[in-house]
Amino acid sequence: MDAVATLDLTTLAADKVVDARGAACPGPLLEAKKGMGTVPVGGVIEIWSTDPVTKVDIAAWAGKVGHESLGYLAGEGYDRVFVRRGK
Amino acid sequence: MAEQEKLVILATHGPASAELATIPFVMAGAALASDVEVVIGLQGDAVHLAHVGEAEPVNAPGFPPLAKLMGDFRELGGKLLVCGPCANSRGIADALVDGAEIVAAGRFVAEITSAKASLSY
Repeated sequence: MDAVATLDLTTLAADKVVDARGAACPGPLLEAKKGMGTVPVGGVIEIWSTDPVTKVDIAAWAGKVGHESLGYLAGEGYDRVFVRRGK
Repeated sequence: MAEQEKLVILATHGPASAELATIPFVMAGAALASDVEVVIGLQGDAVHLAHVGEAEPVNAPGFPPLAKLMGDFRELGGKLLVCGPCANSRGIADALVDGAEIVAAGRFVAEITSAKASLSY
């Protein structure tokens, strides 16, 4: 698995995993928003997505709404995208 | 506390143009997920999307089914406005989906001029 981030995401334990595999835009984003509501400020969610654009979309969304995009791990057939709740 | 941003999306494509009927609700979903207030205005053939049952079979390749997007839109607090003259001329004004509101030009203008941005499809 390739790590594409400055943090060592391979050892990061997310507070919530959101499985959005198979969902088309804007599905992963909507699922991320729902998932973010289930973790406390400072908590981390991990979104699984088979849509290759999701990692870029989630990063833009996080910046817009005040969360912290932590990067992603490229897995086999899907990406694992990590975001820390900022507010 | 900062005032919530608002986006108005005007849609004019009906079920026959699946992709262009769907994209306004894709954009709306992304905006609602970004804490932006969203108003969708249906005009012309797009009013068919608010007619009970007509959105159900719309499924543009690469996108979620339109009915799913419209359900998410409503669940997330999106506002759906329907052009009254357009709906009346098509005979569908009495059978609109829950949450759809019949309006006229003045309301559209008020929504657009009070929004941060508007999109037209």
